[in-house]
Amino acid sequence: MMRFTAVVALFPDLGERELLGWVARGWVRPEGIEPDWVFQEIDVARVRMIRDFRHAMEVPEETMPLVLSLLDQVYTLRGQMRAVARAVEGQPEAVRAGILAAIRG
Amino acid sequence: MKDPYETLGVQRTDDEGAIRAAYRKLAKKHHPDVNPDKPDAATRFGEISSAYDLLSDKDKRGRFDRGEIDAEGHEVQQQRQYYRDTPGHEHYEPAGGFSQEDLEAFLAQAFGQAGRRSDWGATGRAMPGRDMQYSLTVSFVDAASGTTRRLALPDGKTLDVRIPPGTEDGHVLRLRGQGAPGFNGAPAGDARIEITVAPDPRFHRDGDDIISEVKVSLQEAVLGASLEVPTIHGPVRLSIPPGSGSGTRLRLRGKGIRKGHQFVQLQVFVPPGDEPELAAFLKTWTPRASFNPREGS
Repeated sequence: MMRFTAVVALFPDLGERELLGWVARGWVRPEGIEPDWVFQEIDVARVRMIRDFRHAMEVPEETMPLVLSLLDQVYTLRGQMRAVARAVEGQPEAVRAGILAAIRG
Repeated sequence: MKDPYETLGVQRTDDEGAIRAAYRKLAKKHHPDVNPDKPDAATRFGEISSAYDLLSDKDKRGRFDRGEIDAEGHEVQQQRQYYRDTPGHEHYEPAGGFSQEDLEAFLAQAFGQAGRRSDWGATGRAMPGRDMQYSLTVSFVDAASGTTRRLALPDGKTLDVRIPPGTEDGHVLRLRGQGAPGFNGAPAGDARIEITVAPDPRFHRDGDDIISEVKVSLQEAVLGASLEVPTIHGPVRLSIPPGSGSGTRLRLRGKGIRKGHQFVQLQVFVPPGDEPELAAFLKTWTPRASFNPREGS
């Protein structure tokens, strides 16, 4: 986990004000209360991703909520899919084969 | 590393703006976080980033164009961790989004529909359904006389199981086609139902005959009586002929399993406690026929 200043220091092209804006908009959700925010690994990875979207791809600021909303839905669904896959994996061979045959159909 | 111009799909004569536009377009398409299903997206995105890193720097681009450096030496190591590969996505699950309940409802709906579809998986390979194992405990009387029991299956369906007369403990009934459904035209599996017969203190079984005991008093044994006794087909009246002793076997015709009979063994009980009149009588009493129960009859 990292402090706010450490995250800012991690990315040379990311200013304090910009990161503050992202947190204020809820794009990144560190734990704790300003200025004692604590960024977990997932939060730092998210900062890095948003930085790619905004700086490298130049995704407009007003489009970002849409992008992040869809992205979070995709990752949530992928998590659910993995849960289902694990459940299927735990079934007897005949059940697994049956489910696979049904999906292929 | 491939030629950076080729990687970005630009000409050597293209200006900064064109290169930047090409890079943005490719980055949007290949960024690993927007391609969580494509493991090779990280490699592709790394190539694009390296190419842009080289060509967006005027000095480096010039040296590359003049052949002073090659793309290989410049390759940026993309060892960074992407959002997609970082654990903890649930922290950003949309509030009021797709919850566990939604998942369960979704699955219930999906499987419900699957159960109704008979053409389900028409192109897959045929695979017979598997056998389903169940167990059923029935009373001695039900097993002996036969009955029909309704079995509630885990999927909510019910199965009427006919238990034939004389079913023995441990017997497995096989109901063809009542197991899991087959796929792609293959037959369903069987339901295998193992029967446990609960013992009954009133009855024993000897093949198709039923053995039971009845306790009678000394008077009933000597004078004869008519008693109600249980059978597997319900209570019936049994005539005890006068002069019946312990161990006498009386037959109830047709009251066994199928064509068998029930045999009722008598157990004669001498009255408990002090019976001075009976004792006085027996002291003076001489049987008309001489009889010793320890000698063969």
